[in-house]
Amino acid sequence: MLRISALVLALTTSIAHANLADTILDDIVLPGFDQLAIRGQALDAAAQADCGAESEPLRAAFGETLDAWTAVSHFRFGPTEVENRGFALAFWPDSRGKTPRALDALIASQDPVVDTAESFATVSIAGRGLYAMEFLLYDATISTAGSAEYHCALTQAVAADISVTAQELAADWHTRYAELMRNPTDGGVYQSEAEVAQEFFKALNTGLQITADMRLGRPLGTYDAPRPKRAEAWRSDRSLRNVTLSLEALERLAMQLANTEPEIEARLGHSFATALTEAKGLDDPRFARVSDPSGRFRVEVLQRTVNDIRAVSTGYLGPLLGVSGGFNSLDGD
Amino acid sequence: MTSRRGFMAGLVAAGACPRLSWADAGWPAFLSAGRAPNGHYAVFGLGRDGQPIFEIPLPARGHAAAAHPHRPQAVAFARRPGRFAIVFDCVTGREVARLEAPEGRHFYGHGAFSKQGDTLFTTENDYEAGQGCLGVWDITNGYARVGEFSSGGVGPHDVRLMPDGQTLVVANGGIETHPESGRAKLNLPTMLPNLTYLSLQGEVQEQVTLSADERLNSIRHLDVRSDGLVAFAMQWQGDLSAARPVLGVHQRGHGPELMSMTHAEALTMKGYGGSVVFWGKGQRLAVSSPRGNRVQLFDVAGRHVDGKLELEDVCGLGVLSDALIATAGTGEVFQVRQQATRLWLSGVAWDNHLVAVNRGA
Repeated sequence: MLRISALVLALTTSIAHANLADTILDDIVLPGFDQLAIRGQALDAAAQADCGAESEPLRAAFGETLDAWTAVSHFRFGPTEVENRGFALAFWPDSRGKTPRALDALIASQDPVVDTAESFATVSIAGRGLYAMEFLLYDATISTAGSAEYHCALTQAVAADISVTAQELAADWHTRYAELMRNPTDGGVYQSEAEVAQEFFKALNTGLQITADMRLGRPLGTYDAPRPKRAEAWRSDRSLRNVTLSLEALERLAMQLANTEPEIEARLGHSFATALTEAKGLDDPRFARVSDPSGRFRVEVLQRTVNDIRAVSTGYLGPLLGVSGGFNSLDGD
Repeated sequence: MTSRRGFMAGLVAAGACPRLSWADAGWPAFLSAGRAPNGHYAVFGLGRDGQPIFEIPLPARGHAAAAHPHRPQAVAFARRPGRFAIVFDCVTGREVARLEAPEGRHFYGHGAFSKQGDTLFTTENDYEAGQGCLGVWDITNGYARVGEFSSGGVGPHDVRLMPDGQTLVVANGGIETHPESGRAKLNLPTMLPNLTYLSLQGEVQEQVTLSADERLNSIRHLDVRSDGLVAFAMQWQGDLSAARPVLGVHQRGHGPELMSMTHAEALTMKGYGGSVVFWGKGQRLAVSSPRGNRVQLFDVAGRHVDGKLELEDVCGLGVLSDALIATAGTGEVFQVRQQATRLWLSGVAWDNHLVAVNRGA
C-alpha cells in the first residue's frame, strides 16, 4: 500500500512538471517571442515607411517592440544565447557608453555597412538593437547627427536587423528549443523535468535581479551620488514602464512555477502585488527624481519590494523546485 | 581556543615569546572562511585531521584568505564587493591590522604575499573606471597602503605568486560589476577574460586570452605547480547547454589548453568551477563545482578527465600528504586517495576556498 502511494506520488510529481514545461512554453514563452517577432516586423515596416526620428508611428512601433522584449528579456538561455542574439537585440546596461560611440562612428564616417542586412549584422552589437534605436529616435545629439539621408539609412538598418534577430529567436524557440524542454532525455541539455523547472526558476531570479539591481539600482546609485542617467531607456521615458512590465511578466512565470502549492503561490502573489502597487503609484517615468530625497525614497521602497519577491522566491519556490540552497552553490563567486 | 593556544597567548602577553612561527599556532594545515553554527561568519584554522584549531570572527561573510609565508599571520578577505580585510595573528587570535579598500575600490576576496613576506597584493575593482587593479600593502610598515597598479584586465579575482618569487599571475575574470548594482554583471556582451603575468612592480610580462568561443568563460581561480604550470578554473556565463570545460592549464610561453572531456562530463559541472588544486605529486588536478555537487579529477600530462567525486555543495580544495582534501557547505571535510572518505563533520558551513598554510606542510 505504501509502495503504491509512493508510486502515485512520483507519477503525479512528474506529470505536474511535464505540464509545467508545456504550460510555461505554450502560455508564456512561445507567445512572448512570437509577439516580439511581430513587433519587430512592424518596427521594420514603420522605419521603411517613415524613418524620421520624430515619426510618431516609428516611435510607437519602437515602444511596442521594447515592451515585447522586456516581457521575455529574462529568458536568457537557449535561443537568446545563440550567435549573441540577446546582446544584439538589447545591449544594456551600457556601462561604458559604447552604444553612442558606435553610432557616432558610423554616422561620422557615413559607413556603407548600413547598405545591406548581411553587412549590418557585422556591426558591433553596441551599435545594434533596441537601445541603439532609442538613441537614434530620442537622444538629443544622435537623433539629429549627420545627414538626414544617412540617419534614415542607419535607422532603417537598425530596425531591419532587430526584425531579423526577433524572427530568428522565435523560429529557434519553435523549431528546436521548446522540444528540448518538453522532452528531457538522458545526456540531453535537460536530463529531467526537474531541470527544466529549475531553468525557468533561474530565469525568474535573473529577471528579478536585473530589475532590482540594474533597472532600479543603477539609477539609484548612492545617496550622495544618484545616477538618474543610468536608468534604462530614460530618453524615451520608459524606465519605470520597463520595471512594471518586467514585474508583470515575472509574476506570470512565478505563478506557473508555484501553482502546485497554493500557499507559496499566495505568498508570491502578495509580494508581486505589493511591488506592482508601488510601481504604479510612482509618478517618475525616467527616475529623474532619484536626485531629491523624497523621490529617491519612493524608488528605494520599490527596490525593496522587488528584493522581497526575491527572498520569497529563493526561500520558498527554490526548495519546492528542488534547487539546492547550498552555502557555496548559491554564492556564485 | 585550545589549551596550547591559550598558553601561547599567555606567553605573548607576558612578552616572553619574541619570534612566533606557524608551529606556535598549532600548525594549521589550512585556513578557510565559514559560517559558524550560531550564524556568525569567521575564518578558521584547520588541523591535519580537518578539525578547526582556531576561529577568528569576521564582521561579514568572508571569501578566501592568504597565509603569510613564515609569520603566523593571515589575511581574511571580505566577500566581494566587501571593503574590509583583516590581518590576524593565528597564535593569539588577535587582529593585527585591518585593511580598508581605498575610496573607489573594493576587494574581490583574494590576495598574495611576496616571497619574503614583506608585501601583500590584493585584487581590487576600480569600479568607476570598470578596471581591475592590484593593491600593494607594506607589511613591514603595519600593512600600510603604498600603491596600486593595473591587473591587466577587468574583474581580477584570484592572484598567485609564481615559483620564481618575481612574478604574479592574475585571473582577470572579465566581468564588470559596480557596488551600486550589487553583484549584477554589467558587461556580458563585451566581456573578455584573461590570465596576466605581472612583475611585482606591475609591468605586464605576458597576457593570455582564450579563443573566441571561450569569451564567456570567466577565468576566476588559480593554482600553480612548482614548475610554473598554472591551472585556471573558469565560470561559464553563456548557455549551459554549451557545456564548456571549466578547467585549463597554461605554461608561460605557450598557449592555454583546456582540459578535454565529453559533452556529458562537461554538463555535470554546470559551467561552474569553484576551486582548483594540483595534487598527487603535481600529476593530477581537481576542480570543484558546488552547483554540480561534484569534483572533477584530471590527469595533468594527458590533459583529460580521469575521475569524479560526487559531494554535495563541495567547493574548497587543498592537498595534504599527497591526498586531496575537499570541504563543503554542508560542514563536511573529505580526504581523497582512491575515493573520498569523510574526515570530519562540523557545524561550520565551509566557504569557497581552503587556503594552504606553507603549502599544507
